[in-house]
Amino acid sequence: MMLALNALESGYGAKTVVSNVSFSLAPGQILAFLGHNGAGKTTTLKSIMGLLRPTAGEILFDGQNIGRLSVADRVALGVRLLPEGRGIFPDLTVAENVSVVAARNVGAGAMFDVPDIYKLFPVLAERRDTRAGSMSGGQQQMLALSLAILGTPRCLMLDEPSIGLAPNLVERMFEQVRDVCKSHAMTAVLVEQNVAAAMKIADRVIIMNSGRIVFDGDPDEARASNFWSYY
Amino acid sequence: MLALQLLCNGIVTGCALGIVAVSFSLVYATTKIFHVAHAGVYTMSGYVAWSLLRHGFPAPIAFVGAIAAATALGALIQGVLYARLERRRATHLVVLIASLGTLAVIQNILAAVFTANILQFELPWGSQVFHLGGNVRLTMTQLLTVLVNVAAYGGVMWFSHGTILGKQIRAVASNPFLAEIVRLQPRRVHIYVMAIASALVCLPGILVPLDFGLQPYNGVTPLLTATIAMIAGGVGSITGAFVLAIVITELQNMSLLFIPGEWSIGVTFFIFVVFMLFRPTGLFAAAR
Repeated sequence: MMLALNALESGYGAKTVVSNVSFSLAPGQILAFLGHNGAGKTTTLKSIMGLLRPTAGEILFDGQNIGRLSVADRVALGVRLLPEGRGIFPDLTVAENVSVVAARNVGAGAMFDVPDIYKLFPVLAERRDTRAGSMSGGQQQMLALSLAILGTPRCLMLDEPSIGLAPNLVERMFEQVRDVCKSHAMTAVLVEQNVAAAMKIADRVIIMNSGRIVFDGDPDEARASNFWSYY
Repeated sequence: MLALQLLCNGIVTGCALGIVAVSFSLVYATTKIFHVAHAGVYTMSGYVAWSLLRHGFPAPIAFVGAIAAATALGALIQGVLYARLERRRATHLVVLIASLGTLAVIQNILAAVFTANILQFELPWGSQVFHLGGNVRLTMTQLLTVLVNVAAYGGVMWFSHGTILGKQIRAVASNPFLAEIVRLQPRRVHIYVMAIASALVCLPGILVPLDFGLQPYNGVTPLLTATIAMIAGGVGSITGAFVLAIVITELQNMSLLFIPGEWSIGVTFFIFVVFMLFRPTGLFAAAR
């Protein structure tokens, strides 16, 4: 398994936000990680990334317990996060954004080097010298996705990537995420309020409510069930 | 003629304060720490250069020694003090108090070792005078102050935009959260920034006392002007900080033509307050 959580419990200070969260994902598998605001999705992602220290449970990445590793060590292993709404360096140009992240994350034989990124998103190559913060929302999100996958990502976590994007852009971006996951055996955890778009590319659906998993199944099972009652 | 001489003097002091402002701005934009102890590093560097010269070292060695000492002190303040406070989630106010405390400690150590009196700090060739025409004169020290600090400004611009470490520093300033999750290691970058800023502030820290002498409490007024230049120039803008430091110093100098000297600082800062009312984000806010 690429990523496995065993009875994860985590939160902020003394306040526990998620408890008894367990699931495991195979390489290339895409998980739609759903739930209402405050259900504990982002807390779970932050715990996997190392930004929050779990109070109980285990986080296994490719069989290795990464619960005590630093954020930098987890990134080096291939755990990546596309954060909600702030995934670029707005004061730097597109080329500078790509080059600073590549300098720290792209080594020999990397899955995605700088030319691969410009091939995947040609519009970024055209806008190389543009200040990133002045680009459109869609272009900024393409850049954010590029920064998240530079190097060798093995598990990509996307936190509300569709916020502020036009529906056709969301669909195109999700298709690109799916293509990348399937072609490079990269696992993805997709936290998303746009349930329909997320379920279109997902292999599995987990719904959180009040810090606990209340549904775990494939998209067809989710659609067949009384889906919104889990919210 | 007096006006021209005041203008030239303003450029000399302005260039020196420009580098104090640029270095302070680098630290503030990247770490969000109001690094008041920077004034202590500025003052200490002059004393280290003075001591090395007195012990018979040639000027270049004394200057390099002072830069090395300041670099180490800056990195130490960040690594031992600020980073620990950040790990313990200290508020900005607590960090500011710690910085003020560090400044007081540095000043007191300097006063204890070298006394609080003004020390004359001169180089044999420093008072060589150049006549620029029309009775306007500049000493070798003043000329060197302009050249070194303008070159330092150019160097910082090139470093920030032309090197990977410079871009990483700007990236950390632009989005520290993202910097953490793409492995730019912001805490390590903060130490580099503090070391670089401390090395930079050494240049005016050595050159200005060559003109005005050394005193343990010398750093506070330049830092005040530098802070205002940083804010009026637009936080994070290197050019803004440098240019505004020169403008503020020129305002102070030229105001001497119209008002008594004791009013010049008050009038300059009044103009600054009015300016900020109309442009609170600073003059160069968008042009980073």
